[in-house]
Amino acid sequence: MPLIIKDEYPERLFREDGKRLDGRAINELRPIKMEVGIIPNADGSAYLEWGNNKIFAAVYGPREVHPHHLSKPDKGILRVFYRMATFSVFDRKRPAPGRREKEISMIVSDCIEPLLFLELYPGTSFEVFIEVLDADGGTRCASTTIAALALADAGVPMKSLVSAVAVGKIDGKKVVDLSGIEDKAGEADLPIAITWYNEEISLLQFDGDMDLNDMNEFLDLAKDALKEIHQIQLNALKSKYIKLQEETLKEKEEKKGEK
Amino acid sequence: MENNDDEITDDEFEDFADEEDSREVVVPGEVLTEDVTNFLPGRGTILNKEKNKIISLNIGLKQIKKNYINVIPLRGFYTPRPGDKVIALVVEKNPVKYKCDINAKDFGQLKPKNTIKKGKIRGFRGGAQLREEVSTEKYEIGDILVVKVLSADRLNKPELTTVGKYLGKKSGGIVITIDPPKIPRVIGRNGSMIKMLKNLTKCNIFVTQNGRIWLKGEDIAHERLLIESVHKIASEAHTIGLTDRMQDYIINEKKKRGIE
Repeated sequence: MPLIIKDEYPERLFREDGKRLDGRAINELRPIKMEVGIIPNADGSAYLEWGNNKIFAAVYGPREVHPHHLSKPDKGILRVFYRMATFSVFDRKRPAPGRREKEISMIVSDCIEPLLFLELYPGTSFEVFIEVLDADGGTRCASTTIAALALADAGVPMKSLVSAVAVGKIDGKKVVDLSGIEDKAGEADLPIAITWYNEEISLLQFDGDMDLNDMNEFLDLAKDALKEIHQIQLNALKSKYIKLQEETLKEKEEKKGEK
Repeated sequence: MENNDDEITDDEFEDFADEEDSREVVVPGEVLTEDVTNFLPGRGTILNKEKNKIISLNIGLKQIKKNYINVIPLRGFYTPRPGDKVIALVVEKNPVKYKCDINAKDFGQLKPKNTIKKGKIRGFRGGAQLREEVSTEKYEIGDILVVKVLSADRLNKPELTTVGKYLGKKSGGIVITIDPPKIPRVIGRNGSMIKMLKNLTKCNIFVTQNGRIWLKGEDIAHERLLIESVHKIASEAHTIGLTDRMQDYIINEKKKRGIE
């Protein structure tokens, strides 16, 4: 007999002082930390902590396609493997890839593909492995964000980065960046990804119950959050190099001072 | 085979030439300039759809040369081009050809007819007989070869040759690998860095475009120092005044380690 623990959600998703259960305002993101180049054997890699989400991404390629029949003679392919660790959620996650894994792998790959120059690498594949170690809502947005970052770290030519965030409706209010419990107990959620080249939307999913007239408001809310996330991505990519540059400049100046 | 350590000087290696250039780090999607009348998109850049901005495609350093804006990549992979001299590892062989790992997406193909010199042409009807037998007995699996890329494009596997100056089997020494985009920095402007490394560590060093470096020194201590220096150069490739800094570093390390 499997042990069945019923999910219990709080009745209200806002505290008495008007903030959300984790103390955020309605347009506030969870704390985000990103790092690149942490897996030495991969061609490119990145690590993300987004609230309680902890996600690794590694990029390999261009390399031969296995199985070979998936390769295309006129262009390369981008394959994304999204997996969750068994201990990443409350119940044990079965490690075999199911419908959810396949779906998220597909949407991440479709999100990023238009930005790459795959026609330059026919018959090859770029492979992105995304491993979710800890999940707490919004992993598809976090995975998209981190996959783009890992590809940029690998030196794959791309038109721009991709950032993603979920907006939604909880207790009748529009909020940004839903956490796990808000996602389950809330009314609607709407993951949005944007490509910064031409600022086009490259992912828009919807689940729940909301008025179509609210759509523009949701998009405005998402845009501000996405800009913030994009800035964090840029800083993560650059900081490694800029830090070293500043250190060496300082050393040089010190030496000049001595002379 | 001993003194074939001449550095290759190609236009390819003039990338990091101007040391005192601005060393601004840019990332994919970053706007390099909105002035499209005076500047043209160069290597590693693209115009956006409205054609009013030049944006970067790579993570790298922004460089302005005449009226072109280039981005020198800091990360990336090696794409073989005809004429490149690269270090290859024989991974497979059959009576028809060798397969060589050249650090690219495809294995390079080395046909036995490209491993032996043709005889001098005598008379007017064709050349003389080949001096050696055409077979894949010459090299073994696991050999390190210096090869030249004869033909390479994005569809077919690159074809290699070992006939030519400085080409052929390397015996002894150590091969290390660094990120291919950082190779120009190991060579330096007009080979200044590589000359400095050779003089100070008394090692033979052969740098190739696929990111592999062959080196052989008098003793293991010098070799070890050289390997550490090369990795240090690779990790600090985007900084200013690297050659002077490396010179100080090697002299200091030599004193510290007690090697002459």
